[in-house]
Amino acid sequence: MVVKIVTDTLSDITGDLTSEIGVTVVPLYVRFGETLYRDRVEISTDEFYRRLINEGAFPSTTQPTPNDFLEVYKKLSKETDEILVIVVSSKLSGTYQSAIQARELLKRECRIEVVDSLSVAMGEGLLVIDAARAVKEGAKLDEVTAMTRKAVSRSHLIAYFDTLKYLARGGRIGKAQGLLGSMLSVKPLLTIREGEMAPLTRVRSFSAGLDHVYSMVAAYPNIKLLAVEHSTSLENANKMVEKLSSIFPKEKIYRSVISPVVGTYAGPDAMAISFLEAEK
Amino acid sequence: MSQITSLAGQDLRDMFSAATSWLEKSSADIDALNVFPVPDGDTGTNMMLTMRSTMEEAYRAPDHSASGVAHAMAKGALMGARGNSGVILSQIWRGLAQGLDDKESFDASGLAVALQQSVATAYKAVSNPVEGTMLTVIKDAANAAESRIEEGDEDIISVLEATVNAAGESVAKTPTLLKVLKDAGVVDAGGQGLYTILEGALRYLKGETEAMRLRKPQIIVSEIHATTSVPIGPVEEVPYGYCTEFLLKGDKLEPEILRKRLEKKGESLIVVGDDSAVRIHIHTLTPGHIIDLATKLGTVHQVSIRNMDEQHQDFLEMQKERLPTTDTAVIVVVSGDGLTDVFGSLGAAAVVPGGQTMNPSTKDILQAVESAPSEQVIILPNNKNIILTANQVQNLTQKKVLVVPTKSVPQGVVALLAFDYEADFNTNARIMENALSSVKTIEVTRSVRATKINGLKLRRRQPIALLDDELIAAGETDIEVIDKVLSDIELEQAEVITIYYGSDAEASEAEEISTYIIETHPHLQVEVIRGGQPHYNYIVSIE
Repeated sequence: MVVKIVTDTLSDITGDLTSEIGVTVVPLYVRFGETLYRDRVEISTDEFYRRLINEGAFPSTTQPTPNDFLEVYKKLSKETDEILVIVVSSKLSGTYQSAIQARELLKRECRIEVVDSLSVAMGEGLLVIDAARAVKEGAKLDEVTAMTRKAVSRSHLIAYFDTLKYLARGGRIGKAQGLLGSMLSVKPLLTIREGEMAPLTRVRSFSAGLDHVYSMVAAYPNIKLLAVEHSTSLENANKMVEKLSSIFPKEKIYRSVISPVVGTYAGPDAMAISFLEAEK
Repeated sequence: MSQITSLAGQDLRDMFSAATSWLEKSSADIDALNVFPVPDGDTGTNMMLTMRSTMEEAYRAPDHSASGVAHAMAKGALMGARGNSGVILSQIWRGLAQGLDDKESFDASGLAVALQQSVATAYKAVSNPVEGTMLTVIKDAANAAESRIEEGDEDIISVLEATVNAAGESVAKTPTLLKVLKDAGVVDAGGQGLYTILEGALRYLKGETEAMRLRKPQIIVSEIHATTSVPIGPVEEVPYGYCTEFLLKGDKLEPEILRKRLEKKGESLIVVGDDSAVRIHIHTLTPGHIIDLATKLGTVHQVSIRNMDEQHQDFLEMQKERLPTTDTAVIVVVSGDGLTDVFGSLGAAAVVPGGQTMNPSTKDILQAVESAPSEQVIILPNNKNIILTANQVQNLTQKKVLVVPTKSVPQGVVALLAFDYEADFNTNARIMENALSSVKTIEVTRSVRATKINGLKLRRRQPIALLDDELIAAGETDIEVIDKVLSDIELEQAEVITIYYGSDAEASEAEEISTYIIETHPHLQVEVIRGGQPHYNYIVSIE
């Protein structure tokens, strides 16, 4: 039977892409005050960012319950006996734990492998897309799991934030601590290292950020998949895509919007550029 | 004030139990001072607990003579001594007891003699006495008492007052004797603890019990500030092994022989006590051997073995998290409190005060480099007259030093901002240097004399503006000269303008300039920052 792939909403695989590559997406939760919303299911990205900016509210986020995964596993186990789960970095969220716990409850009926992407957003999503392609070409669970685990270190993410306010407020700042407290207005560039947020450098303007991201991506000669996402500024993301189009075919660049859960920490006017290196 | 010419056993109990409460009030502050010899930060607590044990035994003693109480204190201190500082403190009491041996009571001269005995006993207890610690403090204090006696003073209060003052001065000087203290910008914690105990005893004798209840001991502030905002950095990375402490009880223990046997087995060895009870403190890589040896000689009590490498590692980790990067420190030269804060907020490890009219010496920069919490240091001189001085530092230190030749504050800022958290040392210096071409600098000052230059006729004290060190405009007001320079520059490519206003400029005028620039160039993002720099009313950065 064909391997089924499961991921979480943080992978930013949404809409048509979900059915096109045939993955099931488990939502995390975002909470405004007393109300809990299933990420992207009960609250759209548009509505989320509108409330984040206009209400000045402090949303918080929660991982899916083991039961959320269990229900998905049960449903899929009627169609397959092999499931691959690719989730957000276990250093950033407890989603991985929930996925594992749910597996323990269902082990006998279905083989389930859970891969910690050690990344987030399309850094995680590109691993999902890559795995889905392999499955389409006939890969079985062991093969696609081994392939995905190896690909984790080839998946890169560069984040441009307009401010670190949201990341600091959510307590997810990790090693990027040193970027805080600047008296000048600066835009931080961050990455993911060993599953955690880590600082890259700081720029003073969006266009300087564009240049910096471009030169970083251009340093990789062999890019297999590339994605550009934004939280609120489609215009800025379009500029990024234009800029990168000289090193990667524009029509092949995946586009998405940063999920409400990640947006809680990234804030408005953020961008994420992810790419997966081809195997050497 | 009434004189006190003699003290007996009960007086010792009262004055030092008051001193213990006094110490207790500042033990947490003293903990915070601790950087020597390992950063475990509990000197204040250790001394306070040692004093508690000291005083419990003092009250338990059946003999109320000065000698009887002092010997009980020495015994209590030895039994309850914690940490290096506690052990040395116990030896101070032991010396005092020897000095007061057989005495029903003592006078001022008896106190001075006993204090000298404390010094001798304390120094003897430590195999490698280090100056700049509580040993130095007790020595300076005892010497002060002796001089008062030689001057014919018979009042115990005034002799003790001189003793306490000398102890305080000695504590303040500890950073000049010990580099780790100087680097950390603190005084020795053990010395501070000893000073607080002596001060507490004096206050009690002076009848200040009410004030002691309401107030808190002062931590002596080190007078040495070589550089500003130097974070306390990891001092050295040597393996520390295990801090091993225990009390050995038995017959005929012969501490001197024991000390010789242990001397080669570790560092920071302290062996104190008598034939029936010995307290041992040693930093060793093989604590098992030490305990083995001890159990053959008697019974072992209150064993404490702590992994200091782990503590040290935790400390280093803790320090690293506070730093912008783990392996490269950036040091900047700048003057003005606002600019100092700007560079600090951007991650500079240290700021050496200096600039156009106040060039720092090579030594000033060298000190900052040596204190930096890193073996790799990048210097941003921020002035063309300081670049050479900074270059000299490369030959004077073991550390790897590179100078990014920034000629102005705006160049320093763009260089520091370009710092790449993932690049290696040399690459980072190159990246920072490459960033310099992305900024233009306007400096607005006053002409110091009437002259003709670049086709401009200048009056004395007239506002002038330099663009990248070249004088290109003169006028009647600061805003006028800034405007003249801006109209000369291609601003189409520029994005961000930052105005740092100086100590003699007004915030309101800086805002006026900002508003004017935004009105004439709406695509620019303009920031106004108080730089506080002298001589230059405005430093303007164009990126």
